Amino acid sequence: MNNTFVIFRKELLDVRRNKFLLLLLTFTLLAVLVSILVSALDFRVKIYAYNKYVSALHSAGSTTVPAPPQLFPLQLLRGSIEYLEILGALFSIVLGYGMIAKEKQKATLGLIFTRPIGRYQFAAGKILALAWTWFLAVLTIFAVVTAVVAIIGNSPLHAIDLYRLLITAGLSWIYLLLWSALAMGLASYTRELGISLVASIVLWLSVVLILPQIGDTMDPDNQVPGGLFNSLQISKKNEVAVLANFAGFDKVRNGIEVSSITKHYERSTFAYLGIKDKFNQKPVSFAFSGTLPNLLSLIFGFFGVILFAILITTRKRLLRR
Amino acid sequence: MSIVLIAARQEIKSLRREKLAQALLIVFVGMVSLSSFIGWLTKKNVTAIWQKVKYQGLTTAPNPFANVPDLYYLRNTVIYLVLIGALLAIVLGVASILRDRKAHTADLILTRPIDSRSYLLGKLMGIGLWLTTILGFVTLISWMSIALIIGKALAFGDSLHLVAFFAMSLIFLLGFVLLGMICALYSSRETNALLLPISLWSIITFVLPQLGTADHPVSLLNPVPAIANQGGAFSILNSVFSPLSTTEQFKKASSSILGNPDFIGSPTVGITVLALALMVGTFVLLTSKRDRLRRTLDE
Repeated sequence: MNNTFVIFRKELLDVRRNKFLLLLLTFTLLAVLVSILVSALDFRVKIYAYNKYVSALHSAGSTTVPAPPQLFPLQLLRGSIEYLEILGALFSIVLGYGMIAKEKQKATLGLIFTRPIGRYQFAAGKILALAWTWFLAVLTIFAVVTAVVAIIGNSPLHAIDLYRLLITAGLSWIYLLLWSALAMGLASYTRELGISLVASIVLWLSVVLILPQIGDTMDPDNQVPGGLFNSLQISKKNEVAVLANFAGFDKVRNGIEVSSITKHYERSTFAYLGIKDKFNQKPVSFAFSGTLPNLLSLIFGFFGVILFAILITTRKRLLRR
Repeated sequence: MSIVLIAARQEIKSLRREKLAQALLIVFVGMVSLSSFIGWLTKKNVTAIWQKVKYQGLTTAPNPFANVPDLYYLRNTVIYLVLIGALLAIVLGVASILRDRKAHTADLILTRPIDSRSYLLGKLMGIGLWLTTILGFVTLISWMSIALIIGKALAFGDSLHLVAFFAMSLIFLLGFVLLGMICALYSSRETNALLLPISLWSIITFVLPQLGTADHPVSLLNPVPAIANQGGAFSILNSVFSPLSTTEQFKKASSSILGNPDFIGSPTVGITVLALALMVGTFVLLTSKRDRLRRTLDE
């Protein structure tokens, strides 16, 4: 049997036996589900408020009926995507770090490398196992999410919605595997395991939370509750014209945001799911062309990190003292 | 010297060798130092936008930043305390207990006639003193940054509010130190000991506030506290879960102390919740059996 496949099978067995990992994945799934339920409840509250408003208008003798709030089921996934961004990335680090950490802690590396294993077979087996694990996890999460959204949305999802969900699941798989491969590469790169864990957690904190938060904070429209331009009663058209005069500041702000791979994942998935109003109910091709730079950044980042993990996780580096 | 002081002194010495704590500390101090600058840059940009809009006759509304208090520039610091500060506190707490369990030093120390409660209290005190020094330093940086931005010394009243804010931050952070220590005492594996409190932190920071406000997780990283959704079951959910989210309570109390114009309310509830969390955590830690300190890790 091929060495890569042997390592792949052994890793899957270890993952299956790891109860804590199962607990973390269950926790992620629960957070994702809670978020959908809360969004659905929030929509019901809006409908209730709307009905109350309309009946008050009728009682006052008005014949004008304002447009009711519309439910776009895929928009309920906003919080869920954000949980995958934050918690998913953290748990991916744990999975990737664990792939190398357990070998170093149990001193099994010396034994493994007494066998005639090819230069990159060890790394390939581990990455394949990570890829398969995340494939199953993402498949489970999105299968449950699809069922819940269909039930809550009170109407069957159309083929186009399923297609959008499939693309989002694919992007989520790329994003989560990227973090696992990065943590695995760092655990192989450093002599001391502790340092790699430190580096992974600091990277997670900076890339997932701090950089997007700085970009978000610098957004002028986020400075006033309800939006700056709303509070100044400026139309969308004038807003764009005014902001064109502040392109330099926005370039810096956007530059900070896009230095985070998380933001690329978020912008792509929000476009495909129609969470951003600009892309809602528009063809998939529109979301594709509108977020192509984000998609490319995510894919290039993914292949770069996978390459890093494969090139670093070698016998020479793992066995050095 | 009492065992509490000896343990505290030893803890401070050991903290100098904690790499993750040091890395997080550098990120924390760096971000807090940058936070006033980011606030200043954003305010300057918004004011310029408002001037442009006003000049073009598109609005008659006043500048939303015309009367913001000088302590406005600290609003991002609140978020860095919730994000980086809380994680730093967790790491300090976890490292403090795991260090003993991994090196089996507790086995040796507890052969002496030492009360394990005094020993654990000493560790907590050591971390508390270390955090006090860091927060003292951060207070000084913040004071100087704001003074530089406004071009004059911060008023005495504002300076007092600044000190009160960082004093409350210490109570907030000690709650997370305790969470880390307790998880490290009760976990059988090193990885679990670190991940369990981080998972609990994510529940406290994102899940609990979302249940009462319907806000999305990323919106909860806004320095302005989330507003409770008043419809449906949200009012009940918010009254049940809001007191449990120490991060949201900290944000509310901070907004009140720093005079955030977008928030109306007193800091009393927030400070009471933080103090209660600290007391409950201390109680759980000190009532843990001494054998917990001596249990060998599974990895």
